Amino acid sequence: MKRSIGSNSSGNSGSSKKSKKSNQKTLGAAWGAASRPSSSSYRSSPFSDFGSYMEVKNRKLQDQFETEASSGVSGSEELIFQGVSIFVDGFTIPSHQELRGYMLRYGGRFENYFSRRSVTHIICSNLPDSKVKNLRAFSRGLPVVKPSWIVDSISANRLLGWVPYQLDQLNDTQPKLSAFFAPRRHSNPPVTSSQPETGYSEAEEGSSIIAGDSEESRDNVVDEIDGVYTEKTTPEMTAQTRTDKLKSSEVNAETLGNYDKEEKELTSELQPTSNLPSASDNKSSHGKPVAPAAGSSVRRHSTVEDPNFVENYFKNSRLHFIGTWRNRYRKRFHGSFNGLKWTDSGQNTAENANKSTIIHIDLDSFFVSVVIRNRLELQDKPVAVCHSDSPKGTAEISSANYPARAYGVKAGMFVRHAKDLCPQLVIVPYNFEAYEEVADQFYDILHRHCRKVQAVSCDEAFLDVSDLRDVEPEFLASTIRKEILDTTGCSASAGIGGTMLMARLATRVAKPAGQFHISAEKVEEFLDQLAVGTLPGVGSVLKEKLEMQNIQTCRQLRLISKDSLQKDFGVKTGEMLWSYSRGLDLRSVTAVQESKSIGAEVNWGVRFRDQQDVQHFLQCLCKEVSLRLQGCEMIGRTFTLKIKKRKKDAGEPAKYMGCGDCDNFSRSITVPAATDDIEVLQRISKKLFGSFNLDVKEVRGVGLQVSKLEGADPSNKGSSKTLTSWLNSAPASIQTEKDDHVFAAEVREIPADCKRRDTGGVSSLRECNSAEPSVQSGDTNSSLPPMCHLDMEVLENLPPELLTELDGTYGGKLFELIEKKRGKRKINSDSSHVSLDEPHVAHPPFARAPNERAIETNDLMPLSLSQVDVSVLQELPEELRADVLGAFPAHPRQQSSSDAPMETCKKQDKETTYINDGENEIGFSSSSLWFGNPPLWVENFKVSGNSTLEKISEIYCNVAQSRPMLSTVLQRVISEVGSFHDASIKDLEKTVDDVCEFLNEYIKIKVEGDIEEIYLCFRLLKRLAARSQLFHQVYEIVSHFIQALISEHYGGSLSIP
Amino acid sequence: MHMKDGNSQTGEVARTLVGFLEVAITMIVFLKGFYPSAAFERRRYMNVVVQRARHPELRDYIHSAASGLLPFIQKGLVERVAVIFFSNDNVPVERFIFKLTINLSSAASVEENQLEFALRSFLIKLSVAKPLVKPLPPNCRWEVTAYLRSLPEVGSSKEGELWIPTDTKQWMKPPVITPVKSLNSEPLCLQLYLEHPSLSETQPCQAL
Repeated sequence: MKRSIGSNSSGNSGSSKKSKKSNQKTLGAAWGAASRPSSSSYRSSPFSDFGSYMEVKNRKLQDQFETEASSGVSGSEELIFQGVSIFVDGFTIPSHQELRGYMLRYGGRFENYFSRRSVTHIICSNLPDSKVKNLRAFSRGLPVVKPSWIVDSISANRLLGWVPYQLDQLNDTQPKLSAFFAPRRHSNPPVTSSQPETGYSEAEEGSSIIAGDSEESRDNVVDEIDGVYTEKTTPEMTAQTRTDKLKSSEVNAETLGNYDKEEKELTSELQPTSNLPSASDNKSSHGKPVAPAAGSSVRRHSTVEDPNFVENYFKNSRLHFIGTWRNRYRKRFHGSFNGLKWTDSGQNTAENANKSTIIHIDLDSFFVSVVIRNRLELQDKPVAVCHSDSPKGTAEISSANYPARAYGVKAGMFVRHAKDLCPQLVIVPYNFEAYEEVADQFYDILHRHCRKVQAVSCDEAFLDVSDLRDVEPEFLASTIRKEILDTTGCSASAGIGGTMLMARLATRVAKPAGQFHISAEKVEEFLDQLAVGTLPGVGSVLKEKLEMQNIQTCRQLRLISKDSLQKDFGVKTGEMLWSYSRGLDLRSVTAVQESKSIGAEVNWGVRFRDQQDVQHFLQCLCKEVSLRLQGCEMIGRTFTLKIKKRKKDAGEPAKYMGCGDCDNFSRSITVPAATDDIEVLQRISKKLFGSFNLDVKEVRGVGLQVSKLEGADPSNKGSSKTLTSWLNSAPASIQTEKDDHVFAAEVREIPADCKRRDTGGVSSLRECNSAEPSVQSGDTNSSLPPMCHLDMEVLENLPPELLTELDGTYGGKLFELIEKKRGKRKINSDSSHVSLDEPHVAHPPFARAPNERAIETNDLMPLSLSQVDVSVLQELPEELRADVLGAFPAHPRQQSSSDAPMETCKKQDKETTYINDGENEIGFSSSSLWFGNPPLWVENFKVSGNSTLEKISEIYCNVAQSRPMLSTVLQRVISEVGSFHDASIKDLEKTVDDVCEFLNEYIKIKVEGDIEEIYLCFRLLKRLAARSQLFHQVYEIVSHFIQALISEHYGGSLSIP
Repeated sequence: MHMKDGNSQTGEVARTLVGFLEVAITMIVFLKGFYPSAAFERRRYMNVVVQRARHPELRDYIHSAASGLLPFIQKGLVERVAVIFFSNDNVPVERFIFKLTINLSSAASVEENQLEFALRSFLIKLSVAKPLVKPLPPNCRWEVTAYLRSLPEVGSSKEGELWIPTDTKQWMKPPVITPVKSLNSEPLCLQLYLEHPSLSETQPCQAL
């Protein structure tokens, strides 16, 4: 019976609404049955008795679980939890709904109700004390494991041993008391041992390797080598997403070709001529792009033959170069130029776009010019860059110089066709080192002239020169162009305009090696004649649509209202068309953007024979992606696998080894912990690939993309993490912190007097009393913590008999240790003498604050003993009771009732003066003591020369890192107060003042927002007051201040415990 | 009033807060044992086990009380929300006060998760706050009262009409405060504390 209640408390994760409801019903029934046998809900149940009801219900839940398990994607998942059946108890992170989902997916079972027969593991993060004490009754001997076991197992893709994940209760959440509370199952905190298996720690190790990230859409032309593929949230996005949707490579290239005409026009001559029907025929030895050009290479170029295909693929990919270049650029220029600073002002310029001036600068036929800049003999000849000069000529030209363009040679054209047009065309290979060098020089020059540079690509950038009013933009542009030519040997073209759009359009006119300025007056004139197809972001599809509406030029486009454009083409596209046709462009020149996803895609040369090829290919691809992630110092949670599959009726593509006409598929998976770990990537990608159920021979392209990125940098992790992952990682960090803190710090410098446990600290002693026994009552399998981990403070507070017992378990070494520590401390501080009977001795009356009045003045204090509720008094701890009793006049009975009003008056007088005091104090010091980090008082106290103040300051420094709250300090003070020695009366007065001042200021800070903290401090002070003369006085003063402030802010007074 | 850019975000915070209040009020009523515990069912909110009223009218009252606060919270008008328990002579015996301040301007930056995390601690604390509360007198009743910084214009919003000016008797003396939980994170400062009549209060009351 009890079991079933327990399971309910864990909250059932009914998958459907229906099951949830039924759970709730049972809940009522279960309780009813437990507490009130005649409960109506029980009686109204259609089942003959509770047992049969539960049986049926359990069966139903199981059936539901099984159907769900069999219906999901689960087929492709590895069933790592086979044979594991968990029961989740209480609050867990991830929530038990999620846990249930994991069990569903990874072949485990999830029990809604505990049963010794079916459950194999109990999952929980916390247990109530009652369960801890009765662990065996609760768990029935089953392992009680933390949920991180499941998460980590999924991360590692195998069932990890549960032992390190055993619930080490309270140890990691509330270490102070609980370390002695819970049955210690093992001495070492399990979190530490398990940590290396979680994603984070590995991710943190990510070294900085340059990797591809965002890349301009213009480079997405399907090239022979097509690689880096990342998404950005720039306005170009529109063009890019559209590209994604396009099915065939031709259209794809065409769209983009329009987008950036001069380089990327694709001929429409993609006739399917070369017929290589099956992959196995492709074993001819065409050269792959390698530095010494064409043809000579033995490198193989399909996944069929080349085991290092992926690696080589990216090594020789122009797009990969561009992608990785960006990262290089960011690293190179971000340090020296303050990106943020000018992003802000960039926003301004966008707003008053009329005044802004933007230069778009573009190296002319970059990929060719760079290669031939040192080869004079090629200077005026038609030259094109292509990775392959094979006679078959199905390689695409990536860039052609202007002489070649004069013959009609264009980028994206097959070499074969280009040679038809221009027989003397020289084909040169890529030279990536030179590109890098020139690009760096190019940007060096740009940055020298202008602060606001937006790199678009390695050969193209926008400059915002609006701020440089003293320089004519045209003059500046020509200076820059000349410098570029001198430095790099490559010519550049520049376009000047009021917006990025206009600047870019101007560059088209300016090319080659020229510059063109479209001034604000001429914008309209310029746009009037401009074909809509040439606008960036207008691709062939959109252009066709526009032409169907008989819109060919921007002038015609301008006649249509924004509303109807948005209606016809969607909100964003409509908006874009409307503003572009007017030369408006809200984008401003900004720094390089953070990418939203990182990935790699290969869709050339992908031919698989069997599953093994695929596995190998995926491994390489994952390696690449992992490297890119590390290069960007990112880790991600969502993994998307994109597959290009040959269309059913599509023949072998015209382009050699190209992807041809394909259907695109993509599937993604989100894992609980972000990662860049190559093994995790591999496993996930294999899983995803398997879920497509494809004939591997049909696959023409594979891409893996990682999104939901988080910084791998451990320092900013906290901010970008989701709550779940944050909480998951929390116990680990807390654990280690605490270890250091409690054990290292406390043992070192607690000069608590050995006799304290005999004298003061009744209540702290009690805590220890109640906490301690569980150390002995721990399970038989519990092991003792190593002696060095023992908290001396706690030890010393233990009652002697317990200490003896403990000492026995440590083989008598404990006493030695304690003696040793004590000895050391005695030497260190000869001040640690304390009067044995201090708390019992009546406090000597001080002129300033006589005992009686002090507590009596409190609102809540009854005027005489007769008004005290005796039952309350009895409930009070001994020490408090003594306090309360002591607070009454020595002879209460003699006090006549007529005295009372007078007493009150006096009291109120005093009170007001106190308040005034407090206010004055604050008046000129205005909480400055708590200003700064560490607060000012810490330093003040440290140099005060007063041992008590020094102590407080020291304690603060110790606790400040974990929790810089006064209550924490006071808590520690309580445990150490025995060692404070009361100074001479004169000294005392000053100390009291100092302490009061610093307390008052703290209270003043906190009163607005955190009375919980004040209340805590208040109570702690009260406890302190019973133990120390100093704090007794402080309490008297401060309590009035607190009450006054509270009543000022909350219209009442704090209740006194 | 100061609804500017952070508008939607403020709305988000306010909505979360209202949802939280609904749950917290239910928890308080449950905690006080005002109704038999069978009148509540266990539910999960913010991944914590909480109570929910089973009776539709009770649920509706709490729900409408909390959600009726939404426009005022969004405007930053609500200063305190009190759950007040009365003795049969309409004198409050115990008040649970939620004192709240939303910084409307900085609400934009808040993370939902962190807010939930903080609010969850209230619910946890509430579920163990039994020792703090006093036993209920017989024939008592309870109500939800909101204290606004300024009275809203009449008919300014439909939701506002659900609320009526209260005629609850006040205590003669300042009450005794027992803090339960405080949260002071940037956009939202929320404190929950108990108010009991001061000891000297009970005397005149009983005498009357």
